[in-house]
Amino acid sequence: MGELTAALVLRWSIVVAIAAPLSTAIGIGLLLMGRAHWMGERAVSRIVTVGLQVSVLASLTALVTHFGFFGAPATGNVEYGDWLSVGDYAVPVVALVDGLSLAFSLLAAALTALVARFSRTYLHKEAGFARFYVLLGMFAAGSQLVAFAGALDVFFAGWELIGISSALFIGFFHEREEPVRSSVRAFATYRLCDVGLLVATVTTHEVFGSTRFSALAASGTLPPLESATLAGLFLLSAMGKSAQLPFSGWLPRAMEGPTPSSALFYGAVSIHAGLYLMLRVAPVLDVAPVIAAVGVVVGVATAVYAAAVARVHTDAKGALAHATLSQIGLILAEISLGLTRLALAHLVCHALLRAYQYLRAPNMIHDVHQHGHLDHGQTLLARFAPRIAARVYAASVHRLRLDERIDGAVAPVLQLARGLSRLDERVSGITSADRP
Amino acid sequence: MFVHHNTLHAFQHLPFHEGVQAGAALLAARPYLDLHEFREHWRRGRIEDEDVDAALRRTLGPQAEQPAALGLTTLAFQRALLRDVIDEDDDAGVAYRHLHHTTPLHGGEHLEAALARLTRSATRLPQPMPPPLRHRDALVTLGADDTDIAVHGELVRLCAVFLDHGQAMSELPHREHGFLAAVSHLYADGSAEPRACPGVRNDMLALLTSPRTAHDVIATSLTALGVGETDTEAYLLATALALPGWTGMFSRLERHPEEVEGPGVVTLADLLAVRLLHERRATEAACRAAALPSDWSALRERAAAPHTRSLNGAAWLLAGIAASAGLTPDALRDLDDVSLAAFDAALLACPRLMRRRIFHEAFERRYRRQILDALHTVRPEMVPVSIDRPAAQFVFCIDEREESIRRALEERSPDFETFGVAGFFGVAIDYMGLYDDTPAAHCPVVITPAHEVHESAQPAAQHWHLRRSGLRDRWRAASRMVHRQSRTLSGGAGLSFLLGPVAAALALSRVVAPRTSLAAADTARERFAPRPDTRLSALRAPDADTRSTRGKFVGFTLDEAVDRVGSVLRAIGMVRQFAPVVLILGHGSTSLNNPHESAHDCGACGGRRGGGNARLFAEMANTPAVREALRGQGLVIPDDTWFIGGLHDTADDAVTLYDLEAMPVSHASAFQRAHDALDAARRESAAERCRRFENAPLDISPDDALRHVQGRASHLAQPRPEYGHCTNAICIVGRRRISRGVHYDRRAFLVSYDPTTDVDAAILTRILSAVGPVGAGISLEYYFSSVDNERFGCGTKLPHNVTGLVGVMAGHQSDLRTGLPLQMVEIHEPMRLLLIVDATPEAILTVAGRNAEVAELAVNEWVQLVSCDPQTGVMQVFEDGRFVPYVPGTAALPRVTHSRDWHMQGRAHLPPALVTSALRTVGSAHG
Repeated sequence: MGELTAALVLRWSIVVAIAAPLSTAIGIGLLLMGRAHWMGERAVSRIVTVGLQVSVLASLTALVTHFGFFGAPATGNVEYGDWLSVGDYAVPVVALVDGLSLAFSLLAAALTALVARFSRTYLHKEAGFARFYVLLGMFAAGSQLVAFAGALDVFFAGWELIGISSALFIGFFHEREEPVRSSVRAFATYRLCDVGLLVATVTTHEVFGSTRFSALAASGTLPPLESATLAGLFLLSAMGKSAQLPFSGWLPRAMEGPTPSSALFYGAVSIHAGLYLMLRVAPVLDVAPVIAAVGVVVGVATAVYAAAVARVHTDAKGALAHATLSQIGLILAEISLGLTRLALAHLVCHALLRAYQYLRAPNMIHDVHQHGHLDHGQTLLARFAPRIAARVYAASVHRLRLDERIDGAVAPVLQLARGLSRLDERVSGITSADRP
Repeated sequence: MFVHHNTLHAFQHLPFHEGVQAGAALLAARPYLDLHEFREHWRRGRIEDEDVDAALRRTLGPQAEQPAALGLTTLAFQRALLRDVIDEDDDAGVAYRHLHHTTPLHGGEHLEAALARLTRSATRLPQPMPPPLRHRDALVTLGADDTDIAVHGELVRLCAVFLDHGQAMSELPHREHGFLAAVSHLYADGSAEPRACPGVRNDMLALLTSPRTAHDVIATSLTALGVGETDTEAYLLATALALPGWTGMFSRLERHPEEVEGPGVVTLADLLAVRLLHERRATEAACRAAALPSDWSALRERAAAPHTRSLNGAAWLLAGIAASAGLTPDALRDLDDVSLAAFDAALLACPRLMRRRIFHEAFERRYRRQILDALHTVRPEMVPVSIDRPAAQFVFCIDEREESIRRALEERSPDFETFGVAGFFGVAIDYMGLYDDTPAAHCPVVITPAHEVHESAQPAAQHWHLRRSGLRDRWRAASRMVHRQSRTLSGGAGLSFLLGPVAAALALSRVVAPRTSLAAADTARERFAPRPDTRLSALRAPDADTRSTRGKFVGFTLDEAVDRVGSVLRAIGMVRQFAPVVLILGHGSTSLNNPHESAHDCGACGGRRGGGNARLFAEMANTPAVREALRGQGLVIPDDTWFIGGLHDTADDAVTLYDLEAMPVSHASAFQRAHDALDAARRESAAERCRRFENAPLDISPDDALRHVQGRASHLAQPRPEYGHCTNAICIVGRRRISRGVHYDRRAFLVSYDPTTDVDAAILTRILSAVGPVGAGISLEYYFSSVDNERFGCGTKLPHNVTGLVGVMAGHQSDLRTGLPLQMVEIHEPMRLLLIVDATPEAILTVAGRNAEVAELAVNEWVQLVSCDPQTGVMQVFEDGRFVPYVPGTAALPRVTHSRDWHMQGRAHLPPALVTSALRTVGSAHG
């Protein structure tokens, strides 16, 4: 009896946690497309906020169920049947409930609800008010999907929802050019790295016969090359989402969005999603020491790079973005070293701290008046090796020219594409009847 | 520190219309509102037909009745152009509307006919396009890469680290050698060059081996770009204005080296040199890639293409005018060439800019007439001077934000009087509050104070002070540490674990219950370490040479105090009939999450709070020796009059009064009455402010309104803690008696001045030479920031990102945004300040003769100047260099008993109304 209730409660609380924000976002989106002019700011923000609060409650319910509030403790896979099946390939809809998923779910839900509340005042009278809330609902649904996903396919769906809402938030002020350029760059980086997740999903299915995370426990049986490939693919996708080197260039540009969305995405939830993926697939990483070593190197390098850049950054949000990034790098290194419990605690505490710091960022001038001017501190490096310090400074100011190096690397591809497009135009010019 | 000033101050020597048009052209900005905005005002009745006709007649003069085209007079033609023709500013928009048949303004038939007629015609009117000013413009026109994207990305980052006032943890090396050298050193230290500027690294390194001056570098770069001697100035100007914010900051710091933080010389030439070095290489690369010449004259040649008006645009115009001229579609189709030529000529005679200028004058005229008519109506209600003694007098800053609280006080009781004087109350001081680090000037920015005044703890409260300041220092050190360490690698990790959960709790409480959480923190602080009682170092012995560490006198001597108090009282005309209590209220504004916070403080205190000044003034005015001396000069302050200083917070409408314990017991009841009235008035005023805030209900009670504004001021997310000077429109210099009883909707600066006691306009000169430029500065800054918020203002606040503690950028890298944000100006009506002076034209002209800046503002019409005769109340408007008598309108002024009945009916701007309960009536005090 107790077990049945618990299973039922768990089953439905997960559905509600995902569906509540999603349905409000879709509902409002559809109403706005139908030009529902009666919907004022108040209605939009209230509906979405209620959806998000319901999501928080559902997440909490899942948590207490997990700890045995409704009788027996409930944990493990929750099956919802197959989404679709082609031959013997089935995409299962399955949730995974454990301490990790619940922690991430609650963190994401609570912070999103908080930001929704904050933004009601912050975005008052802004032209994109309703758009902001629709995107917020979409993001909340995506992050719940990611948190609870029990299989890679479901995870991928949530991952993409986070990615697209992140790109749209960066380009929120689309009447200016710079936000749009930055948005495209973030989106392109995501897409490039998502290839990793997509290929990994297919590979997982090929190798284990299932895309369930629970199946990854059997990674130990894989030949080293296969496990290394799989781990490498996961790492690639995590590096994109979490802006690890060399994909760090989009992060400062992501500061184009309104401050509350920066807080939610690049202070708290989205930027940590890559780490969450690594925590989820930790069994694969455990059996791929080479990739784990790569993870440590990437993480530490990013941490050092970002900390150096944060030192020279002169704008409030950019400095905060790099300060955040340096911790993300550290956490990635912790995960790669197998310190998953430490990493999870670090992740949650860090997300909470940054969310608050971002929300206070516009208050910078006021705060400096309050606590007095900071003097330029001199580092040990500057004292003992001024030449090296100057070189570090120069590199940090230009952020190693990461973006430009990537641009340079993809330039030949773009050139090819442009050439093909020109060729295509010429051909269609000859064949098409309605062109002179 | 923050000062409002005319955004186009450099153009003030020109007449208003010429100045705004020239300035706007230079910055590619809009000089007036858009035509469609004006038309909307016309549709809603904010502008009336007669205003447009009057503005047209004023512009056209005798030409008005001359025939123009299509059988219309010039007046009728231009009126039709203003009223009937859709906004053709946007050719693409016109084409879209035509294709999709939206807004069929004059029926399809006229349009079809016009299209048919114009298709036959050989020539079409030119549509002037701005010429390319530098390579980048030409490249963009020709579809090549925009070099500014790469150059600005580079330059913004370099400017930001060079001008940083302490936001970054590390300082730019070699900053002390100037911008050009510092950037060269960056390259020497291994910086890679930007991809878009190949070769710039070598250029920069060459500068280190063989140093050259910035001017030399600029000249070389220009030569390399093929910019000839004759083009140089225009080219450099356009180059400098490509990033007006950063350029302006360099230029300002070059002129004010004392404002530069840390070592280093800031020069505009350095900036241009660095910019042109990059720009040259970027341009060369872009030209090479697009197979274009990089020589300026050759490239300009290629980019210059004649532009003609689109067929659709021209047809809309023709169809519109023809329809309002009563031409049938058939007649239009068969229009002869001569008529068409006449039409083109008439159109050319009234280009867009002219149409907007005419609309602008009509827009100002409507409001001007409403206000002048209101003053005309209340004139008979004016009471004679010597009526009964007022129960209390309140002296506020002239700020238009204080208009509502003054009116609310006057409504509470007819025997309350209010005055307005520049909010530093005549005491120019460097003031250091109890917890300030350094003294700061609390006076208009044009004055350098000779005195310092310090606030210190009362001896009896010294232990509290020590405890409080000790705790405060530790708290500050801790928050500094957290701020810095949380952004480092190791500190960030440690503090995450320590403070993550705390931050979550803080964020939750600050977002969910902003007002309560802030109040709770305050209460806890007061419980634990209460703020001690304090006193000011107001006076010093006549021979004492007490000087501060900065070499300034601490406190005023008796003579100085007598001079300050006497001149303020005389200036506002408070020389007889003193009330038992006189409250002197400075103002300031407290809010969170607001990079523009100090823009809301008191302008007369140099963008700081006027509380200390008010307190000091009251203390000096209460000093028996000062009163004795004033009595000797004939200014008798009765012994039973007591002055009280205070501070009004315009964001949360809190009022703090100082030194109440020094007040004699005999004043208790008079003070209590004034205090209660003030407490009620601030609530009324809060409610009046709330009507402008869309998320406060219109039927809000005064108590709820106070809570609402407190909530706004304490909310971390609130971009509009208050609307600041937004909506400012009028400045009335004169006795309150001529303006009392009119509801000005918080749009009037009210300056007290009594012409009857002012011999040879001496006081008026002092007042106008301060109020004229300050008032015009505020009004014009709001004017420009609201007509073109992107170019003159700083756009929406939401993506703003505080940079180097010197300013804000939009997003991650942009120009330094100057001017006012959208949230501060969104409800502003851009008009020139309507300056109404309670003085004869002769007196005003005398002042103008003495003060060149006042004369410039008036003669060039940067303000609308009106003289109101002190004896007769006859008004004259200053137009085209002379005073023209004003003929009041006949419409009756709306009457209400209480302000609330008038303003709580909607959120839009209100025309003036007569508030009967606010009138000062004879004998009303006692029944």
